Amino acid sequence: MCRSTVQEQTRRQVAVLNATAQELFSLYLKCQGEPFSSESDKLCNPAGIFFPAFRVNRTSERKEVMVAMYKLFAFLNASLGNITRDQEELNPMAKELLERLHNTTKTTRGLISNLTCLLCKNYNIFQVDVRYGDSSKGKSAFKKKQQGCQVLRKYVQVIGQAARVLLPHLSPS
Amino acid sequence: MWKNSSLRCLLALAVLCLRSLTSSQEIGSLGDPQNLKCVTHNLHKMLCTWDVSSRGSHGQTDFCYTTNEFTPQVCFKTEERRVEIPIPENFVTVTIKSSGTAFPTKEFVIHQKDISFVPVTPHILSLMPDFPTSTLNLKWSDNGSVFPYGLDALWQIQILRKEAMEIVTQVTYYSKLTHEDIILSWNWTSDMPLECTSHYVKIRCYINATQFVGPQDWSDWSPAEVIPGKDTEPGGSGVFPLDPVVAVGSDLTFCCVHEEDQRVTNMTYGSKSYTMMQLSSRSHAIRVLNASVSNSSGTNVVCRLENGLEGSVVFVGYAPDTPQNLSCETPNFLIIKCTWKPGRPSGLYGKRRTKYSLFERTSGKNVSCEVNEVNRDHACGFPVLPDKKTYDFILGVSNPIGQAQSSLLVDITQRVHPKTPEKLTVTGNNSTSIQLRWFIDGSFAEIRLLCQIEISSSRFERKLHNVSVPGRKSSTYTAQLSALHPDTKYQFRVRCSAADHFWRWSDWSRAVEQTTSEAPPARGPDIWRERSPSGESLIVFWKPLSLSETNGKIVSHEVSCYLLETLLEHKVVFEPSNSTEIKLGKSDCVISVVARNHAGSSPPSRITSVEIPSDNVTTDQAVAMGNGINISWDSYPNMTCGYIVKWCHSSGSEPCSVDWQKFPSNTTNAVIKSALFKPGVRYNFSLYGCKSMGYQLLKNITGYMKELPPKTAPNFIVEETSSDSILVKWDDIPIEECRGFLKGYLLSFAKGEKDALKPRLSESGNPELKVNNITDLTKKSMKILDLQGKTSYQLELQAYTAGGLSPPNSLYVVTKEDSVGLIIAILIPVAVVVLLGVLASIFCYRKREWIKETFYPEIPNPENSKALQFQRNICEGNKTLKTLEMNPCTPNSVEVVETQSAAPKIEDTEMMSPAAETTVPEDGSDSEMENHVVVSYCPPIIEEEISNPPTDEPGGSSQVVYIDIQSMYQPQIKPDGEPEIDIVTTAGYKPQMQLSISALKIEGHSPVEEELDKTAGYRPQANTNTWNMGTPDSPGSAESNNENASFGSPCSINSRQFLLPPKDDEDSPKPINTGWSFTHFFQNKPND
Repeated sequence: MCRSTVQEQTRRQVAVLNATAQELFSLYLKCQGEPFSSESDKLCNPAGIFFPAFRVNRTSERKEVMVAMYKLFAFLNASLGNITRDQEELNPMAKELLERLHNTTKTTRGLISNLTCLLCKNYNIFQVDVRYGDSSKGKSAFKKKQQGCQVLRKYVQVIGQAARVLLPHLSPS
Repeated sequence: MWKNSSLRCLLALAVLCLRSLTSSQEIGSLGDPQNLKCVTHNLHKMLCTWDVSSRGSHGQTDFCYTTNEFTPQVCFKTEERRVEIPIPENFVTVTIKSSGTAFPTKEFVIHQKDISFVPVTPHILSLMPDFPTSTLNLKWSDNGSVFPYGLDALWQIQILRKEAMEIVTQVTYYSKLTHEDIILSWNWTSDMPLECTSHYVKIRCYINATQFVGPQDWSDWSPAEVIPGKDTEPGGSGVFPLDPVVAVGSDLTFCCVHEEDQRVTNMTYGSKSYTMMQLSSRSHAIRVLNASVSNSSGTNVVCRLENGLEGSVVFVGYAPDTPQNLSCETPNFLIIKCTWKPGRPSGLYGKRRTKYSLFERTSGKNVSCEVNEVNRDHACGFPVLPDKKTYDFILGVSNPIGQAQSSLLVDITQRVHPKTPEKLTVTGNNSTSIQLRWFIDGSFAEIRLLCQIEISSSRFERKLHNVSVPGRKSSTYTAQLSALHPDTKYQFRVRCSAADHFWRWSDWSRAVEQTTSEAPPARGPDIWRERSPSGESLIVFWKPLSLSETNGKIVSHEVSCYLLETLLEHKVVFEPSNSTEIKLGKSDCVISVVARNHAGSSPPSRITSVEIPSDNVTTDQAVAMGNGINISWDSYPNMTCGYIVKWCHSSGSEPCSVDWQKFPSNTTNAVIKSALFKPGVRYNFSLYGCKSMGYQLLKNITGYMKELPPKTAPNFIVEETSSDSILVKWDDIPIEECRGFLKGYLLSFAKGEKDALKPRLSESGNPELKVNNITDLTKKSMKILDLQGKTSYQLELQAYTAGGLSPPNSLYVVTKEDSVGLIIAILIPVAVVVLLGVLASIFCYRKREWIKETFYPEIPNPENSKALQFQRNICEGNKTLKTLEMNPCTPNSVEVVETQSAAPKIEDTEMMSPAAETTVPEDGSDSEMENHVVVSYCPPIIEEEISNPPTDEPGGSSQVVYIDIQSMYQPQIKPDGEPEIDIVTTAGYKPQMQLSISALKIEGHSPVEEELDKTAGYRPQANTNTWNMGTPDSPGSAESNNENASFGSPCSINSRQFLLPPKDDEDSPKPINTGWSFTHFFQNKPND
């Protein structure tokens, strides 16, 4: 059963992710070395990667928003796991980055849990088809760096949108 | 050398002919078959070939050969023009018969030296690329089975690159043939990634058959084997090499492989752009020299294309450093823990990090070490092997760049570093002993353990107690601690090490606290008693026992009073009182005091109340020691049981608390110390002697712990003042303000007006300061003598102790006026003046004839006038002009003063003309001023204003109106003809002050000075030399012809009175003598 605070907690989690996303991205770029920081537009262009579509807005149905959010954060959770693993291997000295990645992953995981609860409780949705991104395993170090960069950049863009969309739907009525 | 090409061609043809002759020797007539050549590839058989003419080029050929004349000829038919026959030992005779020819048979003799040896072309078995390391591995067979054993083989390998097959390198590989086919292998590392472009490899060989007499040559090149680059693959793109790990300082080549239709815009290594070189239409490369260590995430190499980018990451680091300070020890005989310092960081992390392994050489056991690169905790565990004490460890270190190792031979029984003792507990507690128990994890059955117990408390110094216990397997150990203090809170902790071969202590265990139980006080309190002032009761004092003596919390003191064995009184006094009063009346008793705590009572302390009377008790002074008070006394043989020094601490309004100290009977001095003693405070001590009957007061002593300067100055007043003395009186300083034993007073005085800003006398540095040191403390007054009357004096009085001077007390006193002296000071000058006046009058009266003759003759003759001859005399006169001395003549008219003062002193300021003022230097340094003569001004008898004659001289410009005396006497001066006189005469009328100066200096004048003198203004009209001649009644003055003596009074010259009276006066029977009246004597100013 969902606790009564789940809704508020979910809103807060999204707000936390939204508040920390840009810093995480900037720190990620800094830790990858040049020219990631100076040419992030070119290097981190997410055009070539898969990222779940988030085609909902404030006027969308709440259920639709919840499903889209679930797909988004399920994808993000997996991607953040890949990025964290890659950075632990590639960049074990970047303690702050790893800590932020861990924290973000934890929040995402909690968010997924809350969304699962809300979907079950409110809409009786027990299964959502989720598509995950490509695994970075076996790719070159540069490709790993680039893929993480692309995902995080897209994440920064989408999390802001998610926060805006989610606000009216999760606000205490 | 060779002039034309035809000559070169001819020479080449000749060489070819010669070569054909050497390779085979044709027998018979020239024609087909011909040019028989034999080549061997294996030194066993040779392949012979020949040429045939076109006529015999088809059909079978009979080929026969024989190696000597004794062996039968071997013949066979062949359709080819090549046969393989064995290599003869010396030569072979070959007969070739071609069918269908006119000259069917040809015979050749082939010697061994005519046979060429060319090894068979090598065959590359495999060419394998290793892209991460850009290494090629080449394998081929040496084909050694066909050659005799031991031949040297040289293999030339050629590496080519790019589509154009540019030779990159060519190396020669050496091997020895073993009569077996051996697969040879050779590696080559490319400086360019193999992915960047295609690489080709060719090989050929040369076998050095020393026994073979014929010519030898390299084999043909093998066909080239190729490793195609990524630029040959359709769709192949990227930056290569991928994720290489290289050593710092390496030179690196990166290439960017892209599609045919793409263009590379630039390539960067880190943030720096590099110049590209084209390898192929699809591949460009950059070269990075001397790569520096990269950060932990590696250095990015990026290739920017027109519509995208590719990249790679290079990790540049160091090969692992040799591990330093490798050390192994066992904490429990179950595992051996080895630690080391890694040295220089490799700069490589993650899967590229440095990896460690611990290898034990004798057992062959190897352990991989998990080292936390981030925490820099470099340690590795190795299991203890059964029945093995000595271990020969090799610590291996490796990373993708290199490897290193360090070794250590260790006996673990000598490297025991036990784990921290656990579960420390205290059991068996009593007042002086406890038992400690602790547990150590480990199997120490083979050794003894040395454990150290730290005993600490707030009251005592830390103690370490060592116990040696036999080691056991994961067991509890115990230790008994005794000689502890009762009622004391202790902290205990334990650490252990190996007893026999000490290596290291374990860490300290967690500390445990335990308080020992109480015990009765160790001794009775130190006691003293005093009779109350009324004598009716006795006050008993005791000192608290020290913490080490109380053995617990003192609850009460029991005071008993015994007369013989009879208890007169018993009192229980609870803490914190340290005295009690017992009403005894006039009787005496023995007082007993015991201290009690919860564990029991102390032994009793006893003292008698009897006080033996004493007489002649003196009071002495003690010596301050800074940290105590030194008290000394004479030895009293009667005092058999020692001495007691008693004193009293007074703090503010509370009654003073009694304190005392006991000394053995052989003591005669002691330094009394107390935390309550304060510097500058007087303490009173009483010295008691102890006899068997009682205590006797021997003497009183006062003293300071440290003497300080008196706090205040003594108050003093001026009791009496006269014109030359002051009587001063002062008061005593209160004892509490003395702050030391008073040693005396300092009375200082000096002249001085009252001024608030004035410093203290002692600090003023006044040279007239006088100081009187009064050491007689009974003296309370002092008369200061020899002072000046009506003068202000500053007086200061200070008291002093051994600690220093008190602040001063100041007074200002003005002495009275000395009236008698004043009267005398007035009367004496008046009397002198009167006397002089009388003497002058007498003189003038007695010499009146002479004066008349000299100054007022009946018929004055200017030619013979002595008075007017001074102009000459002034030049001839005495050069050492002297101050005009006081004589009867002086007051008449002229006063000439020779002064040495720096500044000119002019007595009669009204005589000074403006011109004179301008010529006198302000600083007075001018030497001319040193002999300055001041000419007094005599009172005018007749005043006449005469305008100044026209002249350019400075004196002429003066505003002062002078009397024209010079014009009247000019005819008298000229006949003398003296140059000096000329100077004077041409000077015209000058101010008189300037005149006198010039007159004195005229002897030493230079022409320039003379010229100056001419313009110097007014000159004296008298001969100043004659002034020295003194009085008119001197011997010289009697001769009328004496030039010096002819001068009367200079006053007549300088006065405004005409020496020659005007015509009106010539008729007068008597010279006008008013200028010499006594009233004019005192008149030295002109009548305005």
